Parts: sequence; C-alpha cells; structure tokens
Amino acid sequence: MKINTRKFGEIDIDEKNILTMPEGLPGFPDFERFVLIEDPKTAPFCWFQSIETPNLSLVVMNPLVFKPDYQLDMKTLIDGRDWQGAKQEELLIFVVINIKEGDPKNKITANLMGPLIFNLEQNEVVQIALCDSDYSHQFDVLEAISNMKNG
Amino acid sequence: MLVLSRKLKEEILIGKNIRITVLDIEGGSVKIGIKAPKDISILRMEVVEKIQNENIASASKELDVISAAADLLKKTLSKESKD
Repeated sequence: MKINTRKFGEIDIDEKNILTMPEGLPGFPDFERFVLIEDPKTAPFCWFQSIETPNLSLVVMNPLVFKPDYQLDMKTLIDGRDWQGAKQEELLIFVVINIKEGDPKNKITANLMGPLIFNLEQNEVVQIALCDSDYSHQFDVLEAISNMKNG
Repeated sequence: MLVLSRKLKEEILIGKNIRITVLDIEGGSVKIGIKAPKDISILRMEVVEKIQNENIASASKELDVISAAADLLKKTLSKESKD
C-alpha cells in the first residue's frame, strides 16, 4: 500500500505493519494509525509516521542505546489493558526524541517519562505516562552517552 | 465544569465506579484519594501536558535538523566505544 509522507515523499508500506493506537496519541487525538519507518540516513532514529496524514511523524528511538538500565513495570502495563496474551520480552519500547537548538551545540532529548510501548503481536501501540518515576520528559541523550564510558 | 465544595473526608461518586475522597487539606494543598477501575488512567495534568508537548515538538522538527542530530549522535556513540 502506498502512503504519502512529507519527509519521505510517497512510500510503500506493508499493511501487516500498520499499528493502531487504541488510546490515541497525546497531542494528536484525531490520529490512530501509524507505521514505524527505519531510514538508514537518520539512524539510530526511527520515524513514527501517521498513515492518515503526511505531515505527522514523530522522531523515536530505542532508549537502551543511551540508557541501558531504563526499566518499566511491564506487568502493570500488561494487566491494565487488553494485552493478556503479551509476553514482556515481546513488547518494544521506543521514546520520543526532540532536538533543542542551543549554543554551543544542539541538545538531543528523549521523553523517558512517556515511552511508546509497541505490542507487535497485536499491532498496537500505547504511550504511557510514568508519573511516579524520576524519569525526565527531556532527558539529555548526548550527556548520558558521554557518561556511559566515563562513569 | 461542575463545581462542588467538599469538606475533609467527604466524597464524590463519578459514574458508577469512580470514587473521590478528600483525605487531607493542608495549606494550599489537597490530598485526594481516587478509587477507579484499573483500565481508567489517572494522571496529573502537568504530566499529560509534558508528554503532549514533547510529541508536538518532535512532529514539528525539520528533516535537516534531525539528520544533523542523527550524525552527531552516531559520532558520539562511536567516540565512546573507541575509548
């Protein structure tokens, strides 16, 4: 199936890869159907692209790349929704990435407080809020990577 | 918006199974107890707004800014693994 995207033009997607957000995407309540796009030119970032409007795509990435100890209470997550068949190891976690223009250099931030959880078996994605954790919605990615080696 | 006044320990029932209790009032802060089915999400509004705003900001970034950031990230990652 072909979809139109502002950033990548017209692209071909497999309908089997279409993901729905049964609880919606915070900030964009009218849109529920997305695909995850991996573009080698912008790796390790991935794109969470809406198939309903070409203009909507979020930058996301795997948080374990810069925060290997990032952990969620997966059991509560699975129990709280209709994901009884899901195994914790089969759920993928991505976080939303932002770039803050700054001096002397740009900051890359990750929203660790509101991760996107992908249930690939049911082709569903939810964005959850970790309100009781210390995780920041604007976690400094580059600083964390520098500290990984030096710390 | 429905506006109700409650005293300490008084309660509110929303629908059939959401129950709100005023547990404590101290200074400018109210401690609120909420009993609701586990499939109903209950979040502080600031948390919801932060998540919404990060989504909106991420969606508004231009491809060239993101490509430059991806290159910077790749460089930083490979620098750290060479040490």
